[in-house]
Amino acid sequence: MIQATEFDIDTEKGNFRFDTDYAFDAGVGLNPDVVRYISNVKEEKEWILNFRLKALETFLKKPLPTHWATDDLKNINFDVIRYYLAKGQKPSRSWDDVPDDVKNTFERLGIPEQERKFLAGVEAQFDSEAAYSNMKEGLEKEGVIFVGPTEGLRDHPEVFKKWFGKVIPTSDNKFSALNSAVFSGGSFIYIPPGVKLKQPLQAYFRINAENFGQFERTLIIADEGSEVTYMEGCTAPKFETSTLHSAVVELVALKGSKIQYITVQNWSNNVYNLVTKRAMAEEEAEVRWIDCNIGSRLTMKYPGVILRGRKARGEVLSIALANSGQHQDTGAKMVHAAEETSSNIIAKSISIGTGRSSYRGLVRMPKHLKNCKNNTECDALLINSDSQTDTYPAITVQGEGNSVQHEATVSKVSADQIFYMQQRGLSEGEAMSLCVNGFVNDLIREFPMEYSVELKRLIDMEMEGSVG
Amino acid sequence: MQTLQDPSSLSLFDTDHFFPNFASDHSWEPGWLADHRTESWEKFRKYKSSTSKDENWRFSPKHLFSLDKILQLSDQKDLVQLDALESKEALFQNLDKMILDFPDDLSRITDHDGPNLGAAQNYYLTSSLADNGFFLGTQKGAEIPEPFIVEHKTPKDEGITFERNVINLAPFSSATVFEFINSDESTSQGNASSTLNITLGEGAKLVRVLVQNVNNNTTLHQFENFTLSKDSSLRNVTIHLGSSQCRSETKGDMINRGAFFENFSLFLGSGKQLFDQRTRQVHSASDCTSNLLAKNAINDQSKSIFSGLIKVEEDASNTNAYQTNRNLLLSNEAEADSLPGLEILANEVKCSHGATTSKIEEQELFYLLSRGIPHRSAEKLISLGFLEEVVEKVNNQDLIEKIRALIESKFDS
Repeated sequence: MIQATEFDIDTEKGNFRFDTDYAFDAGVGLNPDVVRYISNVKEEKEWILNFRLKALETFLKKPLPTHWATDDLKNINFDVIRYYLAKGQKPSRSWDDVPDDVKNTFERLGIPEQERKFLAGVEAQFDSEAAYSNMKEGLEKEGVIFVGPTEGLRDHPEVFKKWFGKVIPTSDNKFSALNSAVFSGGSFIYIPPGVKLKQPLQAYFRINAENFGQFERTLIIADEGSEVTYMEGCTAPKFETSTLHSAVVELVALKGSKIQYITVQNWSNNVYNLVTKRAMAEEEAEVRWIDCNIGSRLTMKYPGVILRGRKARGEVLSIALANSGQHQDTGAKMVHAAEETSSNIIAKSISIGTGRSSYRGLVRMPKHLKNCKNNTECDALLINSDSQTDTYPAITVQGEGNSVQHEATVSKVSADQIFYMQQRGLSEGEAMSLCVNGFVNDLIREFPMEYSVELKRLIDMEMEGSVG
Repeated sequence: MQTLQDPSSLSLFDTDHFFPNFASDHSWEPGWLADHRTESWEKFRKYKSSTSKDENWRFSPKHLFSLDKILQLSDQKDLVQLDALESKEALFQNLDKMILDFPDDLSRITDHDGPNLGAAQNYYLTSSLADNGFFLGTQKGAEIPEPFIVEHKTPKDEGITFERNVINLAPFSSATVFEFINSDESTSQGNASSTLNITLGEGAKLVRVLVQNVNNNTTLHQFENFTLSKDSSLRNVTIHLGSSQCRSETKGDMINRGAFFENFSLFLGSGKQLFDQRTRQVHSASDCTSNLLAKNAINDQSKSIFSGLIKVEEDASNTNAYQTNRNLLLSNEAEADSLPGLEILANEVKCSHGATTSKIEEQELFYLLSRGIPHRSAEKLISLGFLEEVVEKVNNQDLIEKIRALIESKFDS
């Protein structure tokens, strides 16, 4: 028997309709239309759109850097990633949806009640208007500009356009190109000449904005003689569903200024965190990267300083902690491009379980320069027998009176130390934690106080169950 | 359409008839060797196609080591001379002689591989075409105090010589080998590519010293691959003074517990000399110790590249591994590149590396100047002192004196 095909009469056929949701969905995957969407949503000027489209081309052309980096990069499927989520599309969760272990961690780290919900992604914004509005006013009075990239490029092009994409060109690497194509969120900061901020700036301040984007873009310009400390991230585990984070952070330290950039990040285990960070230091300027990387599946991050002016100084202090299933591939780059510049790199890594931590460094002093100095120390601590650590520095030195020293050690917590503490009534786990905290102590002291307290607690927690 | 190709743009090894001709010239050799040469040749040809970026060539002007400019094989067969040390406990012969008279002892070379630290292609080419070389094998328990002496020469014609060198120490034997590489004259643009495979049996002890002082037009490729068994020990000291460019790859693999591997090297560079050194200390078994010291003193526009890696495999607990690279810049234009690396997969390890690069300390110079020593002499004294740390690792006083004299004469020239 033949069944008659049912007709669906489409009464909408021929009707002209606007998709009212277009501004909120860039769809899945990456193509020029997605980039146009993002640019359109943000109501950007033509030159920014062109910048993005050109970056997309560069991204597609560039190969993955697997000739030196881990093959794990090949597991990123660029076609299933959502490159832009507008506010309405952010996954909304209730406090009950937040896993117990995350809640527990908040509890134990002593994260303020207000911040917890925001960090867990329950609230799209951090309700801190009251706490920080005074400070915001103060900043404005001093002439400090502290906005997101969209506002920065729209409202203050005369300040930011000059340096945007200059410290890290689009074609620097595949992931900086990706960021340049689809960036949204982040902070654009300008500190006027001579202004010395006593309080650190934090991404938290900027409420009603996408602070932690997947592809955030940060540009900080410290004008002559100014000083600023910027902090991003926090020790609490970030509750993330998106798997690729690729930020670009550019710092410009003009003559005699000081920038200190502090990052503490604790990603969940499925995240690829591929970040390009670089600073440019003019004459007698000082740039300091303080970086703490915990969690993530793969972190690749090598904060760099281009020492462009005489007597400029660059410093990278970094702590990496790789637990099972994690690879912390971090390091530092110091490019000496002027005389009498100095740089210092101190990197400490801890590998727990099957975790792997790598240090990759680059120090370069060309031949026309005199009296440049670099000191590099990298120490690795291995906790379990499956833990892994690597060190890959690259040092090139020419010129008169330039000197470089590099030193790396790998060790494990000695049985003697553990035994000594056990004798005095500490459990093996406590003893191990104490040793690890001792190992990173001199670096942790460089962090602001509340961070260092949280970090210590966090390390204790990460160490749990790793011995015995 | 037919394209006309300038025949001179083809390198020697790209021509179709090259290898068949070579093989027919060597038709007198045993079948296994012919097979081995063919197999290596095919590996060499296969490698030709790889063009991707390679960390193992970082900082290196790879084109300087290219084989494309080579016009011919050197037909000199007498480039390796052995000092006829009479020993009943050892077999010490030229490659030719080995092929004719002791093919069985030699046949183990088919199992050998190179250090594979980037120039694997040239290693396979060398394996395929080696016409010179030496073989040293000891009997079990033989303790031979006198050094075995090998004199290598670079070819006088503008061709290339390929050498295959083998040292096999049987369990519990000990030996010393001194190798010298020189050029007969100071201008010929010779090329030499040589492989050295050292295999140490259980408890065997070897000291090997290489003094390289070829003329400054020579291109050198050195492939050293060492395998150390249980409780064996190897001290490898290399002194590099000559060559226009030298690529040196050294790998020491400690495959059984208790092995001890020391690798000391120095390079004194001047003019536009390039020393491209790649090393690897592989800890495949537990309780092994390795120590590396690479010192480069570079003057004028010379350049040194040190790229070293300590690899500690998963089972290699109780490992002690050290690696030190010191570079002394004697001019503003000299360049020192340093890539000291660690890859640690075990946790009961003590491992460290250090790399420093600097010029002569002002204070040291001032001290000598204030005592009336002229500037040039003061610099020389300090540099000699800097290099002495490697020189004194040689276990033979006569040779130490000889090396010191060579270093000094290079400074004075």
